[in-house]
Amino acid sequence: MQIKVKCSCGEGNCPEWAIVELQGVVEAQPSFQNRLQNLQIGVLCRPSSQESYTFTVGYHELIGTKVSLKKPILVLKKIKLRKEEEEEEEEEGEDDVNSAGVELDVIGVIRHKILFKTRPKALISKPQPAVKEKVGAATVLQ
Amino acid sequence: MDMIDPQPGCSGGAEAVLGLQPNSSISIAYHSLFGTHNDLLLLEVDEKLLPEILHERVTLRGQPDEDAVLCTASKTYAVKFVGSSNSLFLIPPIDKKVSDLCKTKDDNNMVVASVIKVAPGCMELVEVAPKLDKLKLLLSQNPYSFSETSDMDISEEKEKTGIGLYRWDDLVDRLQASDEELRLGLQSLSAIEIDGYWRILDDKYTNTILNMLLHNVILNDWSINALKEDEVVGVLETDGFPRNIATHCLQVYCCKVDEGVGVCSTWKLDERRVCVHLAREILKEGKLKIEIFMEKWMRKVPDGMHASFDMLEGEVLTEKLGMETWVYSFSVSSLPSTPAERFSLLFQERAKWEWKDLQPYVRDLKVPGLSSEGLLLKYTRRTQPTMDAEPIFSAR
Repeated sequence: MQIKVKCSCGEGNCPEWAIVELQGVVEAQPSFQNRLQNLQIGVLCRPSSQESYTFTVGYHELIGTKVSLKKPILVLKKIKLRKEEEEEEEEEGEDDVNSAGVELDVIGVIRHKILFKTRPKALISKPQPAVKEKVGAATVLQ
Repeated sequence: MDMIDPQPGCSGGAEAVLGLQPNSSISIAYHSLFGTHNDLLLLEVDEKLLPEILHERVTLRGQPDEDAVLCTASKTYAVKFVGSSNSLFLIPPIDKKVSDLCKTKDDNNMVVASVIKVAPGCMELVEVAPKLDKLKLLLSQNPYSFSETSDMDISEEKEKTGIGLYRWDDLVDRLQASDEELRLGLQSLSAIEIDGYWRILDDKYTNTILNMLLHNVILNDWSINALKEDEVVGVLETDGFPRNIATHCLQVYCCKVDEGVGVCSTWKLDERRVCVHLAREILKEGKLKIEIFMEKWMRKVPDGMHASFDMLEGEVLTEKLGMETWVYSFSVSSLPSTPAERFSLLFQERAKWEWKDLQPYVRDLKVPGLSSEGLLLKYTRRTQPTMDAEPIFSAR
């Protein structure tokens, strides 16, 4: 079985994606758990001309840097080449085991990430405005 | 501002994050389409592989029960998923149109970059040796034999059922190797494409056509160093061998001396390949005392060729039984190509190996990133009773 790796962006035109990486997980307050869409996670700030960044999530502040990746990371999208006869089968079991008729499309390339590798610092002295708190109700869990 | 307002600012994407200006900030939010997006995968690749991938010369190969490998035109890579306990927020770029809209909005709103998915990790590539052991197995299911040349009905029947017949695309579908590695694998099995199917010739057939060639050399008083392709192929054809197989025989047992431009090419019998084949034939029935073997072998070798025992490295082994030395067939080409299986079989054959005996059976093993010394360290125990004694290798 063979899966072709394609690139529909055209030669050398793959758009660059970005990664913001931090330790642990960001967990939204229970009331937002099932509707994270459009919810603010935090504010990324570049306080100086150096490649150093802060990421403020709820009452927590992370300090990190922009890192160039040693090796680029490709963003691949799995595309099902649906044939009409196959459609019925697939409805029964949405399983990837039968990956015949699948292609991978390179849709982006990642060359940099903004990496926060330290644990968050609590922002006790600087409470966030009340509105922000509601919108971006998220905390970093270790 | 209310939390119901979905996009409080104007949207920027990856560009806005990576190009964030000093003394400015950007809001990071979950995308309106945020989700698990299992169809989005991350693959870390070497910079030098990038052009091959972007030019669509790369495929993933494997059966559902195998771990997928990624094949470029010439190399094979294992694909390993490396999970991460960190959160990787994946931010796509945004559509140009949206960003144009963005500019018309007032500047008080903060730019928002949206996270489409939190990636659980990334796939990485590790160069591996191609998995070609199955190739011999597949092609051995239905080797080409006399019955097909003489009896067309059988061949047609086989074609209909297609049992053990594989086209190039069928092989690519079944084997985890790059195109170039697969081509080399077919070459090392002396496979030939007949009517669109890759086949090996069965032993009897190979033996007969080679003997016929050697016979014709004597009969027509040809020079073994200057065989004219047209002449040889023509004669083999009148002997009843199809033209393409006659040409294949030249390719397997001869080497081209000069490429004929306009005129026909000239070939020279390959001494080593012919002699090794004849030795294999002699030992097919079982082991022989070395004197008897050598005598039989010398008798078979055509005039003008010199057979020497060194040629049989990796083909035969000798053992001492009492006063006598016996020779038996033990061919490296019949052994598995993965190091662990290879060494296990070797130590089943013999518990202790001297380096000069072992070397022909391991020199073709190639594991990317591991030297041959590394291989020996990993799979064998080396003992050297005294400083000037030959080292002995045994199983770990």
